[in-house]
Amino acid sequence: MDFEWTEEQQAFRAKLHAFLEAELPDDWEAFSKHGPASPALTEFARHFCRKLAENGMLFPHWPKEIGGEGLGPWEQQILAEVMWEWGEPRGGQYMNVNWIGPTMVRYGTEAQKAKYLPQIAKGEMLWCQGFSEPNSGSDLASLRTRAELEGDAYRVNGQKIWTSYAGLADTCFLLTRTSDDRKRGITILLVPMDTPGITVRQIPSLIGEGDIHEVFFDDVIVPATQRFGEEGQAWEIISYSLQNERLGIPRYHLARKALDRAVGILKESGDFARESVRIEAARCAALCEAARTAIYAIVQKRVDGLPVGGESSSARFATVQAERAVSEFVVEYVPEALAGGSDYLQMHHQRGIVAGIASGAAEIQLNIIAGDVLQLPREPR
Amino acid sequence: MHLALNEDQTQILDFIDSLTRPYATVPLHDTSFALTSDALDAELVEGGFLDVMAVEELGPVTAALVVERLARLPFAVEAAASSLVRPLIDPALPRPLCLVEEGQLRRPVRFLRPGATVVVVSKSGVRSFTAGQAQVRAAGDEVLYAYPVAYLTEVPGDARVHDVAADEILRAWRVALAAEAAGLLGAALQSVTTYVSERQQFGRPIATFQAIRHRLAEDQVATNGVYWMALRAAGSGDAGDAALAALHAQEAAKRVGYDYHQFLGAMGMTLEHPLHLWTYRLKFLTGELGGRGENALAAAAAIWG
Repeated sequence: MDFEWTEEQQAFRAKLHAFLEAELPDDWEAFSKHGPASPALTEFARHFCRKLAENGMLFPHWPKEIGGEGLGPWEQQILAEVMWEWGEPRGGQYMNVNWIGPTMVRYGTEAQKAKYLPQIAKGEMLWCQGFSEPNSGSDLASLRTRAELEGDAYRVNGQKIWTSYAGLADTCFLLTRTSDDRKRGITILLVPMDTPGITVRQIPSLIGEGDIHEVFFDDVIVPATQRFGEEGQAWEIISYSLQNERLGIPRYHLARKALDRAVGILKESGDFARESVRIEAARCAALCEAARTAIYAIVQKRVDGLPVGGESSSARFATVQAERAVSEFVVEYVPEALAGGSDYLQMHHQRGIVAGIASGAAEIQLNIIAGDVLQLPREPR
Repeated sequence: MHLALNEDQTQILDFIDSLTRPYATVPLHDTSFALTSDALDAELVEGGFLDVMAVEELGPVTAALVVERLARLPFAVEAAASSLVRPLIDPALPRPLCLVEEGQLRRPVRFLRPGATVVVVSKSGVRSFTAGQAQVRAAGDEVLYAYPVAYLTEVPGDARVHDVAADEILRAWRVALAAEAAGLLGAALQSVTTYVSERQQFGRPIATFQAIRHRLAEDQVATNGVYWMALRAAGSGDAGDAALAALHAQEAAKRVGYDYHQFLGAMGMTLEHPLHLWTYRLKFLTGELGGRGENALAAAAAIWG
């Protein structure tokens, strides 16, 4: 066991920081605080991701044959940490890196790979994730958006909600119901967002401008060639994707950086001399580092090609605890941060509330830990 | 970064599992508050399991893994201080090793008995002596800890002074505390999950009630965190990592202390179930090194100055 980064890994992290330092505009913190989905950041990300791609920093962990540098899961984690620490200059395109790309490689048809991977690899594509519905949040398998096969196309009718990036996305990774079988009746369609019959409405949110939406599908016609995987294969595919997604955003890392910033402010004001403040700060740091080490243990499993399983839910829950502790610390001891006092801490706070809700609520993570990690007998249904 | 066990580590843990198999369960009808075994202790010493830190290819992470694994036993073994702290002072010091903070004579001391080595850590330095009859006061037979404990009556004036920084010993002590707590937390969690999976009420295992499932799942998260932070602190040798690991361990110990007995219902009040053999060791560790607040302050000082 070795807890040190290799020299190459340290150099990789330093290279990413140097690149961002040089390339991001001077007012970056004020600019990025509105969240990765804001129209301004989405537009910025389209240029910036292209630049990252040109410099081998968009998908360094992808295999060389599809445009990557062939680096491993540790480099993927370092990349994610650095980007998120800088307020995610890739905007919503981080999803491509974390799970859409890998899922495309594993489950896409040759035609789909040929169509989408080059666009993704060039940093030009923004996806949205058509999963949740008004009556299907944590109980995702109850979703009802219907896709009926008519000849060589599907007719889609239904509604999605809380969809990130939908307002500006090119394509929707859409879950639809093609039969009544709860989990095996769900099918994925890749739907261009400019297809007639799609209506997007932005939902005002606590988490940043342009982040979540309602999406309506009224007689939307989708060619069957846009089906991703087989009919009924969606559950298997998204289980694979979500394992990647759950590790995707290194919130523990930004939380720790935000904590360090907050401590910096408190030192300047003299408040960090107070023992009560120091004790709380250390508690927050412990939660951040607990989450970090738990996540790293999962990354190691990916390096070794082992199944990740319920332990990713454990690491994810640890991250939620860290995120909340730091947010509470800031509110308690650096209250000005939420009122214009610190762009960086405001950015952290605004995004933090997402941690326990998006990509599987914290309570669902606890259910998974209870069943898969602790092996407790199932709850009666 | 490589967080999988290497071959040596896997092998050592396997050896320990084989060696300790006779001690993996509580002897039939035994309802002791604390369990110890001289035979187990002797076997561990003979096998060299408490000396792995000094072996170059094994080092402190392996030592922490050994301590974690041994803490899972229902028997209390003095492994943490000997494995993770003793090599920094003098590998030849006789066991058991008892770590005490200067000026804390009112606190009970684990494993203290005549012949034990007492290590006194103060801001100014580190001293040690072999405890004699006069320096040990028995704690009586109604001790509510699952460790053998006694009181130190004095620190002799002629204690041996060691040429090692007190901060370095405190750091290693925190690692030792966290590694031992990780094992205790893991074993206690295992013990409780087994019980609640078998115990039926309202016609179903009580583990099927979400009120219990979610709390146990959160306990798993805390336990996992302590395990990894303890190993990282052992590996990095960093004072901040060590203090965070100790802090997180004590936070976790506090969290599970009552919850676990609660989940066992009335069985959680008895000595017939072995749960106390882990939780009442955790209770002791909660107060070590000044408790959560002091470890938090130590972490803050190490990280932010």
